[in-house]
This record gives sequence, structure tokens and C-alpha cells, in this order.
Amino acid sequence: MTTPKHIPFSEDTSAHKLMLPWSRAVEICWRNVLNRRGRFLLIFISIAVVVAFFVSTLAYQAVLAELRRSDEVPIRAALEQANLLTHDDAGDRNQRDRTIWLLTLSGMLCFVGVCNTMYMSVSERFREIGTLKCLGALDGFIIRLFLIESVFVGVVGSALGALAGVLLMLLQLVMLLEIEYISGIMLLRTLSVSVPAAIAGGTLLTVMAAIYPTRAAAKMKPVDAMRVEV
Amino acid sequence: MEERREIVHTQDVTKVYTMGSEEVHALRGITCTIYSGEYISIMGPSGSGKSTFFNMVGGLDKPSAGEVYIDEVDIAQLGVYELAWLRCRKIGYIFQTFNLIMVMNAIENVSLPMIFAGLSADEARDKAAELLGLVGLGDRLTHRPVEMSGGQQQRVAIARALANDPAIILADEPTGNLDLRTGREIIELLTAMKEERGVTIITATHDHKMLAASDRVIWVTDGQISRIQKREELDIRVGSIEGAEE
Ligand SMILES: Nc1ncnc2c1ncn2[C@@H]1O[C@H](COP(=O)(O)OP(=O)(O)O)[C@@H](O)[C@H]1O
Ligand SMILES: [Mg+2]
Repeated sequence: MTTPKHIPFSEDTSAHKLMLPWSRAVEICWRNVLNRRGRFLLIFISIAVVVAFFVSTLAYQAVLAELRRSDEVPIRAALEQANLLTHDDAGDRNQRDRTIWLLTLSGMLCFVGVCNTMYMSVSERFREIGTLKCLGALDGFIIRLFLIESVFVGVVGSALGALAGVLLMLLQLVMLLEIEYISGIMLLRTLSVSVPAAIAGGTLLTVMAAIYPTRAAAKMKPVDAMRVEV
Repeated sequence: MEERREIVHTQDVTKVYTMGSEEVHALRGITCTIYSGEYISIMGPSGSGKSTFFNMVGGLDKPSAGEVYIDEVDIAQLGVYELAWLRCRKIGYIFQTFNLIMVMNAIENVSLPMIFAGLSADEARDKAAELLGLVGLGDRLTHRPVEMSGGQQQRVAIARALANDPAIILADEPTGNLDLRTGREIIELLTAMKEERGVTIITATHDHKMLAASDRVIWVTDGQISRIQKREELDIRVGSIEGAEE
């Protein structure tokens, strides 16, 4: 009978490193997303809706502000006609306050929504997390896996949302003004700020929403994680 | 067994679960020694504390009192890193419900512990393929768990448990979700692992098919060891099962 290899594990564990290289982690996440497409589609949508709303509102305001600053007569005339050329400072401020308030409130609601989605997405895998820990995953591996996943989900969801938001904003604009007054360069200038900002914001939101359940799951004892019935 | 090396030793292990104001004494002082290369069955009725004991020995949960030694190391003294290392390299786990990662195919499931252990992707795949061949799934490498029967899933789990050449395989009701014939095949596979690789096998079970394969049987009732029997001492009822197995 062969005796099993005896590896003393109490000393010098550095000789036998536990690891999960980033490249492998990304690969695992990618497979996870592919194999759970349906679920991820829902997550993408829930994030995209938030970002689309923000982008369309903010970019619309920004474009309008740019237009108002223009001194070309036809643009001023068009704005006047669409009743968008307010000279009333107080009214302007009022409008802006309302927008900010609306954005804050809806932002909070959306954050709760995304938190809920991410919590579901993590908690339905508690059992798998427990199994991974039995196979030798450190807490850090689990966090790394879910971090990559949430960044990916955040970026893709936000990008989709930003695209939808821009389209929405354009739709809003052309309903008010003739398309010829909206110059491509001016649009590019406003969007080059609001779109990256929205994608960054959306991703940050998603990662923040994922951190709490992921940390909780990673810290669970394997038995507790595996006992969770889904 | 020429020279018996202690691989697992538990000393007065107790476990009390508190649920609200109620205390459940799942283990009431378990002291036993398991030697390297043995096939041990922890037998007892449902609720007797087998899974709790399994979790203690496997470092998946901590005893309320008492110590668990693996290779003479008190595992309560291990840090998180060493504990993860123990789970990764020293012990292979098999569960009643297989616990495969559902989104991964057979070869990916088996590769996972090797990835954690630092093998390259190619090395891990090659070894995973070899292990799957060993458990008779050489033609199911890229099947996902949903595309396999219970018996096949449990074979994948066995291959996964063997991934890092562990010294110990812990199996909690490995045949619990399987029919008679498939269950027997799994037991044969475990026996082969013990014989060919010298792995220590510890199963928690109430499946009497397991008796014939065991070198020793530790009977547990109500969180306590009621007796420990060597294979030779097992009664006639078991003998008949053993006979049927030939
Ligand atoms: N997490 C837990 N919380 C409370 N009680 C538990 C828990 N796990 C097990 N028990 C109790 O401990 C006893 C032993 O359970 P277990 O070890 O699962 O038995 P077995 O595996 O032999 O069926 C049972 O009475 C069970 O209800
Ligand atoms: Mg049990």
C-alpha cells in the first residue's frame, strides 16, 4: 500500500501558495455571465434604466445651456419659439433646483433597486460560495470574483444605459428644435463629459451595491454558506 | 496496516447549536483516532450528529469545545490562510448533494481546486481530464452538471475531491441521493481510491451498503460514539450484504 504524501502544513505554507490569478478570475466571471445570461440581462436592464435616465436629463440640460449661450440669431429664434429662452433667473434656478431634487430622489430609489438586484445575484450563489471555500478559496478570491463581475456588469449596463439616454435626449431635442441647430461638435462636447461620467457613476453604484453582500458571503463559514437553501 | 500513522484525532469534541433560547447538543464529546489509509464509516441515524462531526473534521465549522487534530496539528490554531490551504490540499470533500458549480462543466469543476493550488490552466486541465477518466467519465469532460445523472455528478465530485492529491477524503452521505446500484458503484470507486492511492476515506452515512467497504465503523447515537467495530467484528447481517456484493 502506498502511503499518501505527507505535507506538513503548519509550517512554511508559502511554499504552497493558494492563488487565483486575475486572468483566471476574469475567465471564471466571463463563463458565469455567459451561463447566466438571462439573469444578467435583467441586471443590465436595471442598471441601464438608471443610467439612461440620468444621461438623458443631464445631457439635455447641458445641451440646452450651450444653445442658450449661442448668439446665432436663428438658434435664439428657435429657442424663443420653443419657449426655452428664459430670461428669468429666478425661474431658471427654480428649474434647476427641481431637477436636482428629482435626480437625487430617483438616484436613491435606483440605488436601492440596484442593491436589491446585486444582493439577489450574490445570495442565490451562497451555496456555490460555500463550495468554493471548501475547495480552498480564500475570502479574497470570492471578493475578487464578485468584484470583477460587478465592474463588468456595471460598465456594460451603464454603457447600454448611456446609449439609450443619448438617444432619448436627442429625441427630446428634435421634438423642440429643428435638427439643423444642433451642431455635432457641440453635442460631442457635452456628451464627452456626461457619457463617461454616467458610465463611471453607474459602475461605481453597481460595485458599491455588490460590496456588502459579497463581503458578507465571503466571510461566512463554509457550512453556513452551504446551508442556505435557494 | 504495517505502521499506523494517526491522521485524524478528535479529543472530546462537543458542538452546541443555540437556536434562540434552545440549545441543541449535536455532539457530546467525541474522542476517536483515525489512521492513515483507513476507510472509516461514521454510522448513525439521521440527526445523530454525523454531518456536524464531518464539518468539524473538515475544518468547515468550529467545535464548541474539544480539539480536532489533523496530522497532529490542532486545526483551531490555524489561521485563515492555513485553513484554506488545508481544505485545498489536504482534504477532499464529497457531499450528498454533489455541490458542483452548476455553470461549469465537468473538467472546469475538477480543475478549480488545482487552480487555487497554483497549477497552470493547462496542467489543471490535463490532470482534471485524467481524473475524470479514472472515475469513468472520460467521455463526459465538457458536460455540465445538469446534463449528467446523479451518479455521474457524484463521480465528478469524487474527481474534484482527488484534484490536489489529498490525504483525506471526507464524504457526507455520498450515496444518499443515489439509487442502490449507483450508490454501490460510488462505494466501489471510493474503495479503489483507498486501495490505489492510499487515501484515508471518512464517510458519514446511514447507508448499510457502506459497511462492507469499511475498515472500521464508528457508530454514533445522539452525538456520542456508541461503539467502534472493526470489519471482522461486523455482524452477520453485514456479512450477507458483503456476500451479495461479490
Ligand atoms: N446549524 C444548525 N443549527 C441548529 N441545529 C443544528 C444545526 N445543524 C445541525 N443541527 C442539529 O444537530 C443535530 C445533528 O445534526 P446532523 O449533524 O446534521 O445529523 P446527521 O448528519 O447525523 O443527520 C440535529 O439535531 C440537528 O437538528
Ligand atoms: Mg447529515
